[in-house]
Amino acid sequence: MLRLMLLLVTVGGSVLQSTVVAVAGVAGVAPDVPLILTVLIALRYGSESGCLAGFVAGLMQDAAGGGLVGVQALTKGLAGFGMGLLVGRFWVSNPLVQVPGLVMLSIAEGLGRFLLLQMFHYPAAFGDLMLHVILPQALYNGLIGTFCILAEAGFEAMRRRAWN
Amino acid sequence: MKARRYGILVAVLLVSFLLLTVQTRGGGGTGRAGELVAIAVTPLQSLLVRIHRGALGIWSIYVEWKAVRRENEVLRVDNEQLRVQAMQASETREENARLRRLLLLRDRLPLATLAGEVIGREAGGWVRSLTVNRGRGDGIAQQTPVIVPDGLVGRVVQVHRGAAVVQLLNDPASTVGAVVQRTRTAGLVEGDAGGAVRFKFMARDGASVSPGDLVVTSGLGTLFPKGLPVGRVIRIEDKGSALFHFAVLAPAVDFSRVEEVLLVTGQTTQDVAGLFRSDG
Repeated sequence: MLRLMLLLVTVGGSVLQSTVVAVAGVAGVAPDVPLILTVLIALRYGSESGCLAGFVAGLMQDAAGGGLVGVQALTKGLAGFGMGLLVGRFWVSNPLVQVPGLVMLSIAEGLGRFLLLQMFHYPAAFGDLMLHVILPQALYNGLIGTFCILAEAGFEAMRRRAWN
Repeated sequence: MKARRYGILVAVLLVSFLLLTVQTRGGGGTGRAGELVAIAVTPLQSLLVRIHRGALGIWSIYVEWKAVRRENEVLRVDNEQLRVQAMQASETREENARLRRLLLLRDRLPLATLAGEVIGREAGGWVRSLTVNRGRGDGIAQQTPVIVPDGLVGRVVQVHRGAAVVQLLNDPASTVGAVVQRTRTAGLVEGDAGGAVRFKFMARDGASVSPGDLVVTSGLGTLFPKGLPVGRVIRIEDKGSALFHFAVLAPAVDFSRVEEVLLVTGQTTQDVAGLFRSDG
């Protein structure tokens, strides 16, 4: 049941990314919703779930984007796995760590993707990519992630109050 | 546990690299390996595109719906404003027409009159009256007749400093001396608790009053000028052996719609019936 729900969240996030998020971009920059979801899943369910969710989400993004299939599957899988490993260390349960962590992870994922694509002679310059894509997207991810984390905390608080 | 975790990681890495390798082997995805990946990925891509298109369709419907809703709200506000403006224009036009008629009557009458505006109404049944914005300060006294272009409205029964209360013809306590214009049959016009106006105490013999006859003020006494339209006979109530006829009148004035009036402050002995609307 949990796996099915995670799969639905992952697939839903990918569809959201290619539909609503694509339209809601600001100055040509759109947040990476599947990456945010991957991080949230990894924070909540650990590195295995994070890795698998990242892999599936990345694979779907690769398939939908028409590029090399496997690049985002690999980077997002690694991101999910890495974030999952941090659970229980570095106070990652604290939102003040989660949000900067998400920004850093977004930058790391972008760098990883760039390095991987270098193997396949990706033509864009690193400086341009960093300035116009990776950094703005990482900040946008941080912003969206903040809302998601706050919403999740609020939902949890409500649920706890309802149980008590 | 740890082995499984890293096993998953290794599997993800292997599958990813495998996918990348088979795509790039044989010249930029054109080789057999690339085709194999394409075969595996194409259904997924088609499915995603279909979902994407569906979601985009829903999204665009939502965006259009929002735009239409916003436009609808703007149009609704515009519509309300235009309706209010139209009502104001219509109101002004009607008021203008009423005042014009009042002015024409005022100019025609050989009497001193003062125009007043209705500022209150009492139509509960016990009392039927209007309050006008003219009072003692304007030289208005009790018993002042009040008219409109259609005919007699009533008389002033209370005078305050800046306002006066006008007893309507259909007030139960109202009595006005009147005659049938055609036959000159005399009687008294009285209101009743039901709001009707009755022409009472007509002599039975030789009255020959019939429905449609116009009843005007008699001018007997000095209160009302002669010939102010009071109403038209709509029904004769013959009490058989009674000495008098009774007639039910349709008042010449629609009291519920009176908004501006003339208060007759002067006197005349002239019959003014011909100066009023012939259909009143």
